[in-house]
Amino acid sequence: MDALVSKYSPVELDAALAEDSDDEVSSSLPQTVSFILPPIDQPAKFLRAMTDDHANPAAPIKLKHGTTTLAFKFQGGVIVCTDSRATQGSWIASQTVKKVIEINPYLLGTMAGGAADCQYWLTYLGMECRLHQLRHKRLISVAAASKILANLVYSYKGMGLSMGTMLTGVGHGGVFGLYYVDSDGNRVEGNLFCVGSGQTFAYGVLDRGYKWDLTEEEALELGRRSILAATHRDAYSGGYINLYHIKEDGWVHHGFNDTNPIFWKQKLEKGEFQNVSTTLDA
Amino acid sequence: MGGFDFSNHTRNAALMASGMPAPKATSTGTTIVGCLFDGGVVIAADTRATSGSVVADKNCEKLHYISPHIWCAGAGTAADTEFTTAIISSNLELHALSTGRKPRVVTCMTMLKQHLFKYQGHIGAYLVVAGCDPTGSHLYTVHAHGSTDRLPYVTMGSGSLAAMSVFETQWKKGIDRDGAVKLCSDAILAGIFNDLGSGSNVDVCVITPEKATLMRNYLTPNVRAPKELKYKFEKGTTAVLQEKLISKDELRRYITVTEVDAEGETTLTTDVMQVDA
Amino acid sequence: MASSYLLPHAQHAPHAHPTASSQPRQHHWSPYTENGGVILGIAGKDYVIIAGDTRSSEGYNINTRTARKIFQLGSGIILGVVGMSADGEELARKVARKIDDYKRNHDKHITVSAAAVMLSRTLYQKRFFPYYCQPLLGGLDENGVGAIYTYDYVGSFEREQSRAFGSAAALITPFLDNQINLKNQFVPGSNGEEPRTPGDMPRDLVEKIVKDAFSSAVERQIEVGDGLQMVTVTRAPPRAEEEEATVEDDDEWTGSTISETLSPLKQD
Repeated sequence: MDALVSKYSPVELDAALAEDSDDEVSSSLPQTVSFILPPIDQPAKFLRAMTDDHANPAAPIKLKHGTTTLAFKFQGGVIVCTDSRATQGSWIASQTVKKVIEINPYLLGTMAGGAADCQYWLTYLGMECRLHQLRHKRLISVAAASKILANLVYSYKGMGLSMGTMLTGVGHGGVFGLYYVDSDGNRVEGNLFCVGSGQTFAYGVLDRGYKWDLTEEEALELGRRSILAATHRDAYSGGYINLYHIKEDGWVHHGFNDTNPIFWKQKLEKGEFQNVSTTLDA
Repeated sequence: MGGFDFSNHTRNAALMASGMPAPKATSTGTTIVGCLFDGGVVIAADTRATSGSVVADKNCEKLHYISPHIWCAGAGTAADTEFTTAIISSNLELHALSTGRKPRVVTCMTMLKQHLFKYQGHIGAYLVVAGCDPTGSHLYTVHAHGSTDRLPYVTMGSGSLAAMSVFETQWKKGIDRDGAVKLCSDAILAGIFNDLGSGSNVDVCVITPEKATLMRNYLTPNVRAPKELKYKFEKGTTAVLQEKLISKDELRRYITVTEVDAEGETTLTTDVMQVDA
Repeated sequence: MASSYLLPHAQHAPHAHPTASSQPRQHHWSPYTENGGVILGIAGKDYVIIAGDTRSSEGYNINTRTARKIFQLGSGIILGVVGMSADGEELARKVARKIDDYKRNHDKHITVSAAAVMLSRTLYQKRFFPYYCQPLLGGLDENGVGAIYTYDYVGSFEREQSRAFGSAAALITPFLDNQINLKNQFVPGSNGEEPRTPGDMPRDLVEKIVKDAFSSAVERQIEVGDGLQMVTVTRAPPRAEEEEATVEDDDEWTGSTISETLSPLKQD
């Protein structure tokens, strides 16, 4: 009965404000959603047999995979950059995926692993962040938001969710945050991350050119160039380069551009990618 | 004979165990049939070859020559039917030469079954053997494992049930040549339209003691629908990085002529430019 | 450790057969079948086309030559599904119900974008026991512009211009990329500098491209054939004032017209 009464009672705003924001997040597991399970004793095993095309190439359901995503903090905020390719086995399912999910004007999440898992749970996170904002009359911190997500996916651990996301943005008081959260339960804070099948290629370029004092222009170019390198070497990455910059007053989109002309411009005008031959004699 | 190389077997078994799919052989989900008539025998086949669910060849030939009066229809792995019939055709010819008699259908069938049995089903050839010899007209089926049947009308392949339904409802004793051709082609049509592994055209071969008549594309009930649009690209549509034209004369630089005498000894090697000069 | 060296499997053995005793064990449970077929959707400036073949097969057998894979969900929204036809039909029924509920609850027609989210949530609800089908949602958006939403099995979605799903997707997609999105085509004379940009394509031209895509797919994919179902959503002609007043059940007016055609394909 107490539970029923409290469920329909208005939230005590003062009490809510007094609470630590990190405590609040642990109580926010979804109560309204329920997932249908197959009527067998080991649903996770069944799901793996049907969907894990890495272990079993003949799996009937091939989910979308394959990615290069990166995000890094620098003096002027945070840069987020991704490719746009989705693969199902060796089939390119899409070249136009939006792998940066706009949670709200201050928060971005990147998509690696299962496309549906990332889309669904980051949208759900957006809802939670909005509720936090209404309850506490201020923006949620990136730390708290990433913890909501981490706790959430951790509660489904072993069920077969697949996501590797970077949650980044600007929180209360203009504090930039960058967290790597994945479906294994990891939640790591850092200045620079690359995630996905092409991560090593992106790290190669990004680490080489990274420094805290990058200008905005330089930082955007470094993000773009790192993804370009990954799309060049990783068959599971490609399509378009999706670029964002997070500033103190929220994120700014810097385009969704085809890699192919960018590559040729980089090669022919800047003399890079000399490994690619343009002549018939070489 | 049958010089198979098994040196990659262990490696391939290990690869397949680690999850790599085996390469797809072009197989003939197929309908093949045969029917005896008064004075001869008819065999027929569809012309679709598939690789998985993709059509590899829309008009392949599944009727194989064995000897002037023996023909064979093949289902199963395309390469196996092709080579098995070719090997037996050669051996049957040698056999005919050494005995000085016309080859018999039963001999052909026996050679096929012994060859296939030896390989324990690994050679995926499923055959309908038909022909005329001094003992009369004959019709057999040979399965990949080596078993055989001798019947007045037979069907094989993935469309065999569809085809057999036609025979079982329409076949009559003492059927004549035209009736047998009609019956066989109807049976193939049943396979073409009701079995996804079979399709395209009907090939028929009529064998009488006098001659064998191959009627390639006897029926063509699946002509491609005409396209609504023309797909022609204007010149310059494709991006070009570098152009290099190789003229006919330049091409001669890449050709080397080697003269060989009767013993196989090289007598003279020149390139064409010099010859011309 | 010596024992585990001698018997390397000893420590794993208890896990390998946890129910070796008398408990019954689930061996093979396969709730999915593949019924073949292909669907394709193209969005234009003021129309949407979703087309599909009408063959439904299992292995080398044809179950029916007249199965419709494209459904009208109400409120001017259409849905194409391939994969397992049972799951596809169930999904179509479910979303059609939800779209009807929406209309009754809100007293207005759902927008395609909202229906797109609704379908995504419906798929994700079965994240751990997915529907074995790939859906393609179509309709006109708030501005009357054609919209195609494409999904994976568990609900990730995207708005696109054109898309093919099903057993001939690998055959049709490159054709669509080239002919609808003009990929790998440059303006002649621009020396590969200026790519051809896809503009608004007239509906009759797109319909011809769709027909060619199917008649070609039929040639090379055994699971595709029999018939072509083509469903088109276009803008409804604006109604005259007096007509508007006389229409009794105004709820039914969605602003779009849906038409459907069936034409023959090869049957082998």
